[in-house]
Amino acid sequence: MDRTDISKYYDEISQCNRCGFCQVACPIFRSTGHEAGVARGRLALLRAIIEGRLEWNQEVEEPLFDCLLCGACTANCFAAIPTSDLVIKARAQYLEKVGRKSIHRLLFDQLLPYPRRLHLAARAVALGKNTGITDLARALGLLKIFGRDFVHANEIVERFPTQAFRDQIKTGVHQGQGQSLRIGYFIGCGVDIITQDAGHATLRLLKKIGKTVNVLENCCCGLPAWSYGDLKAARKLAARNLSILVSEKFDVIVTDCSSCASFLKNYPQLFPEADKHHEKSQAVSARVKDMVQLIHTMQAYAPSSDSAVTVTYHHPCHATRGQGLAKEPDEILNRLPGVEYRPLLEADWCCGGAGSYGFSHYELSQQVLDRKMDNLKKTGANLLVTSCPACIMHLSYGVRKHGLNTKVCHISELVI
Amino acid sequence: MLSDELISNLRRIVGPSQVSVSRANTELYSYDASLAKGQPGVVVFPGNTGEAARIVKIVHQADIPFVPRGFGTNLSGGTVLVSGGVVICLSRLNRIIDISPQRRCAVLQPGVTNLELQDALAPLGFFYAPDPASQKVATLGGNVGENSGGPRCLKYGVTTNHVLGMEVILASGEVVRIGGAAYDPPGYDLRGVMVGSEGTMGIVTEVTVNILPLPEAIITLLVIYDDIADAARSVTDIISAGIVPTTLEMMDAPIIKAVEDSYACGYPRDAAAVLIIEVEGLPVGLQDQVAQISELCRKNQCRDIHEAKDDSERNRLWEGRRGAFGAVARIAPNYLVNDCTVPRTKLPEALSRVAAIVKKYNFEHGNVFHAGDGNLHPLIFFDSRDADQLKRVKKAGWEIMEACVGLGGTISGEHGVGLEKLDAMRMVFNEQDLSAQRALQQAFDPGKILNPGKVIPLSDKKENTLDLSPSGKIGASSTGIAAEAEIIDKIQHAASTGKALLPTGCGTLRHFGNLSNGTAEFLNSSELNEVIEFDPNNQVVTAGAGLALDRLQGELADKNQWLPIRPLFSIQSHSIGGVMALGACGPERMHYGAPRDLVLGLRFINGSGQKISTGGKVVKNVAGYDMTRLMIGSAGTLGLITEVTCRVTTIPERCTAISAEGSLAACAALAGKLITSQLSPVFVAAIPANKADAKIDNESWKLMTGFEGFEKIVAEQLKRTANMLEKDGLELKNQEEYPVQDGIFGDIYIELGQSAFVLRADVPLDEVAGFVEFFSSRLTDANMFVDFGCGRMLAGFEVMQDEVWRQICDLCDQRNGHVLMERAPVEFKKQNDVFGTARPEWQIMHRIKAALDPHTIFAPGRLPGKV
Repeated sequence: MDRTDISKYYDEISQCNRCGFCQVACPIFRSTGHEAGVARGRLALLRAIIEGRLEWNQEVEEPLFDCLLCGACTANCFAAIPTSDLVIKARAQYLEKVGRKSIHRLLFDQLLPYPRRLHLAARAVALGKNTGITDLARALGLLKIFGRDFVHANEIVERFPTQAFRDQIKTGVHQGQGQSLRIGYFIGCGVDIITQDAGHATLRLLKKIGKTVNVLENCCCGLPAWSYGDLKAARKLAARNLSILVSEKFDVIVTDCSSCASFLKNYPQLFPEADKHHEKSQAVSARVKDMVQLIHTMQAYAPSSDSAVTVTYHHPCHATRGQGLAKEPDEILNRLPGVEYRPLLEADWCCGGAGSYGFSHYELSQQVLDRKMDNLKKTGANLLVTSCPACIMHLSYGVRKHGLNTKVCHISELVI
Repeated sequence: MLSDELISNLRRIVGPSQVSVSRANTELYSYDASLAKGQPGVVVFPGNTGEAARIVKIVHQADIPFVPRGFGTNLSGGTVLVSGGVVICLSRLNRIIDISPQRRCAVLQPGVTNLELQDALAPLGFFYAPDPASQKVATLGGNVGENSGGPRCLKYGVTTNHVLGMEVILASGEVVRIGGAAYDPPGYDLRGVMVGSEGTMGIVTEVTVNILPLPEAIITLLVIYDDIADAARSVTDIISAGIVPTTLEMMDAPIIKAVEDSYACGYPRDAAAVLIIEVEGLPVGLQDQVAQISELCRKNQCRDIHEAKDDSERNRLWEGRRGAFGAVARIAPNYLVNDCTVPRTKLPEALSRVAAIVKKYNFEHGNVFHAGDGNLHPLIFFDSRDADQLKRVKKAGWEIMEACVGLGGTISGEHGVGLEKLDAMRMVFNEQDLSAQRALQQAFDPGKILNPGKVIPLSDKKENTLDLSPSGKIGASSTGIAAEAEIIDKIQHAASTGKALLPTGCGTLRHFGNLSNGTAEFLNSSELNEVIEFDPNNQVVTAGAGLALDRLQGELADKNQWLPIRPLFSIQSHSIGGVMALGACGPERMHYGAPRDLVLGLRFINGSGQKISTGGKVVKNVAGYDMTRLMIGSAGTLGLITEVTCRVTTIPERCTAISAEGSLAACAALAGKLITSQLSPVFVAAIPANKADAKIDNESWKLMTGFEGFEKIVAEQLKRTANMLEKDGLELKNQEEYPVQDGIFGDIYIELGQSAFVLRADVPLDEVAGFVEFFSSRLTDANMFVDFGCGRMLAGFEVMQDEVWRQICDLCDQRNGHVLMERAPVEFKKQNDVFGTARPEWQIMHRIKAALDPHTIFAPGRLPGKV
């Protein structure tokens, strides 16, 4: 089942008639000006491979793995060719034909499926970063790998809490003030390990809305592995999660990570109809809600801060294109009292964070980030709000790097 | 072919990450948006002009072909290398260098997209007229290379009408500047030659374009039809009625469906065809135009006329129109697009012929095109993975081009010849025409390394001396032919004896240029003095070069049309050939354009006595190099023009000038306001007001502003101008109606023309007043005519010290302008070059002259640099 062959997608790939309109929307192309960094070029490469003009070798690694998977090309494509999906399939075949890096094997096979191990690793890194004691980290081989492949990870992540969010709040059922809604809270790795303020704010809101909030023992949603092209690892992670998410003890599954939300909603695509997980994945995905959707349906809320603030909003790729949540954040911000909302130019452009892209493709991601920061400066906002931990991390780094006073936070933190 | 040394040298220039040599990366530059393919050996991404020039130098030394490229959206294979070489990709040169509303120009790097420029201009209240449908991703460099059009070109003209200057890297790596913010530099129209040269003459690394104030109001109509033929007939009727909307676009059913499947843009899925018609300008009078257009559409059985209610609806319609090429990917993986242009009156016939050809080859097709220009874009849907389809579709494309040429059209209106239409060039040009074009290209690129194998097909070995090509068939009457034969005899005789010839028409412009060697004999076109073809419905006229302008205007006036040129001095008694040869025009240039903007094609006899045709009879034409613009303003140095085809226009209902007096500074300030306003003055000029004193001072000048067009709109503009004048404290004088052909400057020209010296100086628009002040402080008793709208000053005087002349030349140079002594006594000409300080780009002109007039017989002394 995992053997990928992009020639199955020959028709979709050949559909590109090279009009080039993807170039206007591709953050990577706008940074480099190289055809290797845009949908038209990637599709041309895949077509050349299928037609036998190119081989699977390291020459195609850069074009395939430099993609942010932000989906802006498809949104700008009159024929709506799903280039990000095709790139993921091509990455999968690339890994099979050419091979993959040890860091990804460690991440996808050893850490992400096991929350406890992930916590341990994170703790090791945190200790290394916060105290300089790196023995444990070194023992795990983490820093070495991070040092080689994720050279700038250290500066991008400002603060590494020593205790995982899930450990701070305890898993299991929390009582809420709501009438009847039973909520399953899916904590993504980003919130669990890094953007914990968002998690605390979300939990507070969920308790306000729900009768019960069940903090789930889920593992990584699988999106990082899927994006990397390790479809097998992604399915394994998804299958582990399905066994937890299928429970009847909650009516909705809520996550405050738009990337997780978008991928959970896509679980049925991971398992073909014949697969034993298919039906389960459909039932689960139908119950998934992005925290943005939940806030959008809330009756009353007020800004959590007393003083008036000017706010702008960054639309994560996985919210706006991944889930079609384009209008909701604007509507929330527009009706929030005490808040002046100043829309961001190119608000739905990728920030360059793109999961671990900011670590693995530092230079490129910084060019994309700089563009975002230039647009941020034009708003003069003192609060930059979004709904994805990876974006929060990357945008916070951008704000620090550009010496801005703007605070970056999750939309859960803005409302009470 | 590419040595390791070359690659490492390239890496040294731009850095390793900006040189792509891998098989995979070069595959990415083996295509553009056309069907052409060709793999380069290496792709280099320079970060600035200096790097690009160093790249060209070493590639030139290694004698390796190269091509400049932007975002690769070319539709004719122009950016695909035929047999390996170097792609120089300019995508990183993407800065907007300067936008100057006061000068009505912007300076850009070639990697800026057309839309980025529009987005930067809009907040300032300006726009750049050419708007190719691919404007989101089409770069300005590409627009220049292809002479791009777009929907708005119906009203405003194509890229070449809006490019003022550029910085170019020549094939040798030498960097030269051509033109700039000041209009009409003397000598050959090099920017006209560069625009549309498809990367075969140099690499443009910076371009200066003309920008215009955004209109005050726009009305967008969506006209819906149940039959495409009715839509085509509506277009013909609108144009024939003398109405020029801003856009007149057509889309048919297959395209509408593909677009609506992509995004809901607001097109009716059940329509057979729609027209998108836009009119713009002052709100007053717009509804009249809408009513006139609507009536013609209803007369042709349109089903419905819908007016876009706001900007968002309008933008959605345009979004759909612009995305049409991409949208047809929903129908089939590939399309073949022709972009033939036909006379607008032939549209219904052209569409039905296209449909028949496509059917014959068993394909489906859709139409989305610039109907108002007669510029077709039939898209034939196919799958390039099927070799048989590919073969058939190319045949169909070929036959479509033949059909359109047969209707009096041409093979390409805006997409370029590139690789795809190379052989079709022979449909519109004969071997002599082509070899003239080849010679022009080689003047720029003697080593044939600049994008070789494009635009002009390889020479046909069997020399075609019989003049039987399509372009050769039209021509003068029997007396004309006899006159031509005599001219050819004279030229051949001159060529064999080394005698010089000076082409003339009515003989009114013989004073032009530096001194000849004194033995030049006149070569006269005055017997070629007929109107050869006048198509009033299509608003195009072809006339013999010897025809006097006033006679031509007389014939046009019978159909309520005119050629909007009012050349200086003796105005109407010039021959049409003379006007074109000198590019002569008055201050109306700011509105109607120069002769270079009005001529569609011409014929001339070259130094070998061959009749050469350039251009054609259609309003959009990018087939081959722009020999037409090369000839206009060439002052007879390349041959004798025998025949000229021009775009003409409807005679305006009313022509009125409004005058006011004030200081030079106040006149200049108000002129600046008018130039950047939403009014459309035809001229904004000034003369000293107190002539009696004989001495010019800066305090009393008379500013004259003219408006021409529909009565209502002229009245409104006069009213608004009067308000502006009063508000600025100028003393309002009078309003004066004037005859359209003569204008109001006749007396002024006559007085100026009697001077021993007549000087023309061109500077950027906002530098005129400063220049005039300087000039009048040196020559206090000159007759002056200041053209604020074109950044031009004319002065007539009796004495000129060499020292003062040098100061004037220097000042013009410093201000990025240029001077031309239009008339001067022999003694002055002996000592000085009437074209001012020598400039590096004159070398290019001399090379062109040597290539096209190898026996050096034509018009000695008339080219800058005393050539």
